[in-house]
Amino acid sequence: MARPSDWRYGYELSRETGLKSGTLYPILMRLEKYSMLEACWVATEEGVPPRHTYRLTPNGLELARTKLAEARPRSMVRQPAFCNG
Amino acid sequence: MLETQLRQAATVLLESAIRIAPPDSRDWGRAMMGELPYVEGSWAGTLWALGGSSVLAKQALASLIIPGHRGKGIVPDGGLFAKSATLRKAALAIGAACVLVAFLFFAAPPFRQAFRVALTPWYHMFQIASRNPEPGFKTLAGRAEQRHDPEGLAFCAVRMQDPRESARLAEEAVRLDPNLLWVYAVVALRHPGLSETGPWVERLERWDAQNALFHLITAESIEQAHFRGPELTARAPEQYPAWQSAMAAAFQSPTFDDYFDRVAQLNRRVVRRYSFYDPYEVESREQIDLPLHAFQNSERFAQLLLDSGAALEARGDRKGGRDKYWTVARFGQLIDSQGRTGAEHGMGTTLQAMAYKQFQGSFTEEGKKAEAALFAYLAAKFDPGKREHFGVAGDSAFGEETSERNAAVVQISGLMILVFCGLMFIATAILIAGSRRRAPLAAKRAKPVAIMVVLSSAVGLLFSSITLYLTYRPYWYIFQSAILNGDRVETNDFRYFLNFTPALPGVSPRGYHVLVNALLYSGSPSFLFYVWTGVTLLGVIGLALILLRRFLGRAHNHAP
Repeated sequence: MARPSDWRYGYELSRETGLKSGTLYPILMRLEKYSMLEACWVATEEGVPPRHTYRLTPNGLELARTKLAEARPRSMVRQPAFCNG
Repeated sequence: MLETQLRQAATVLLESAIRIAPPDSRDWGRAMMGELPYVEGSWAGTLWALGGSSVLAKQALASLIIPGHRGKGIVPDGGLFAKSATLRKAALAIGAACVLVAFLFFAAPPFRQAFRVALTPWYHMFQIASRNPEPGFKTLAGRAEQRHDPEGLAFCAVRMQDPRESARLAEEAVRLDPNLLWVYAVVALRHPGLSETGPWVERLERWDAQNALFHLITAESIEQAHFRGPELTARAPEQYPAWQSAMAAAFQSPTFDDYFDRVAQLNRRVVRRYSFYDPYEVESREQIDLPLHAFQNSERFAQLLLDSGAALEARGDRKGGRDKYWTVARFGQLIDSQGRTGAEHGMGTTLQAMAYKQFQGSFTEEGKKAEAALFAYLAAKFDPGKREHFGVAGDSAFGEETSERNAAVVQISGLMILVFCGLMFIATAILIAGSRRRAPLAAKRAKPVAIMVVLSSAVGLLFSSITLYLTYRPYWYIFQSAILNGDRVETNDFRYFLNFTPALPGVSPRGYHVLVNALLYSGSPSFLFYVWTGVTLLGVIGLALILLRRFLGRAHNHAP
């Protein structure tokens, strides 16, 4: 969300989110299916398979912002529960 | 080296998954493959490939079951980040299909019989607890009485363990059909202490005057009356003239018929008439063996004759002595040649060996070496220690080890069917509870696990059912051919198999029989009961703890 126009690799997303490939890819597939995500192939060095890169579409970006906005007040309400005081 | 191999394995795995994936998912497979060289660590790479392959495999399975599932549609319930509804549907379709096929097996009679056989050890346990040892026969006897069917009554009389009930049914059967008089002999042989034995034997002797069997029954009833009755006497049964007369008459009888052929014929008619396809009751009790008392009495009387023969020889009456030996040898030959069961052949050979040994000694003493050598050869030939006549007689096509292994497979498969059904029941209850609007949070969170349990249990149920069916199928055909056609070629295999099935897996049949006898006759659950109840309880507690830990952990992670 910090750099929404950047193309990201699958493994990179996996490391950032902590999701395993078996969990991450079905989500990416579904986001792409509902036009929330765009994907493109990037050729890398010779002899190495091309890589798939992803970024959110405007629709996806809007959905992500909405979801974040929904999640933020909840996390703020929850916060005191984790405080010692 | 290992790192390279793991990398190669991960690549091969992912390539194979791409090959089986539906066309519209292959690009995603290639995307995962494209990331593989950048995954740090060979194990992490393998896990990456495994995760990716599982995604593609699920897609392949879903497209196989629900073709065209990738079409655009509404956002599935639970949103974009929930599990795929298509995959869930596919999983439920597979589960439902497995359960349906597994339950369809119950429509097949071989499977029903196999299932009953598989649960025998557990059934015995609860049967003992309910102190109702013969519910099947009691029901059958009731039906036969209602239909005034003498053969049905005779069938039950022969097999009943309760002497009084057995005698009552035998009397009723013979009253309805006097041709079934022989049933008295079989019942009296099994229950010689019955007060009816005397009058029955009188009638039997008039009907089949030359049969040695009735004298054996009389001898045992005399022994039971004097020796095993409430007033114990210090005298041995051979000191009773009546016992001696009965045994002497048995040894002089020209024929021996245990009527087990008639029992087998009756069996075939009644089993079909009442559809009474309990393999234990029909098959294992069909060949009702000569009881141990008949064997013991014969051996005791034979020894008495041989001793008296030796005494005659000592007094110089060699011919008189050898006549006594011949009496024993001839009776042994009679039982061996006309008997049908393992114990009967064993008894016949034992008596012959005893007599031939005596002959050998007699001829050796006389200095006739050729005759002595002949009888030494015969004594060795009929030595019961060298002949396997005891127990189940005849050959076995499968072998005892195969029967034991098949029995274990059948028992475990039957047990697993119950376990999987139980798991499915619990998981379905959780699913139903979790589907309600006001369902507790724990029930909602347990839904994915419950779906997984339902699916894996359904597959396990199907696998167990197929295993049970295929393992038991040959025995069903043996049972059928024995019942319908009287073809008893392979019944020994079936008996071996049945002998092993009452023992729980891991408990040796011999040990089991000792324990079951202890249970049957003491009426209190013992070691066997506690061991298997303990194992079952431990399993259930372990499973409950695993589930509890998982749910509590989840609840804790999601706690505010």
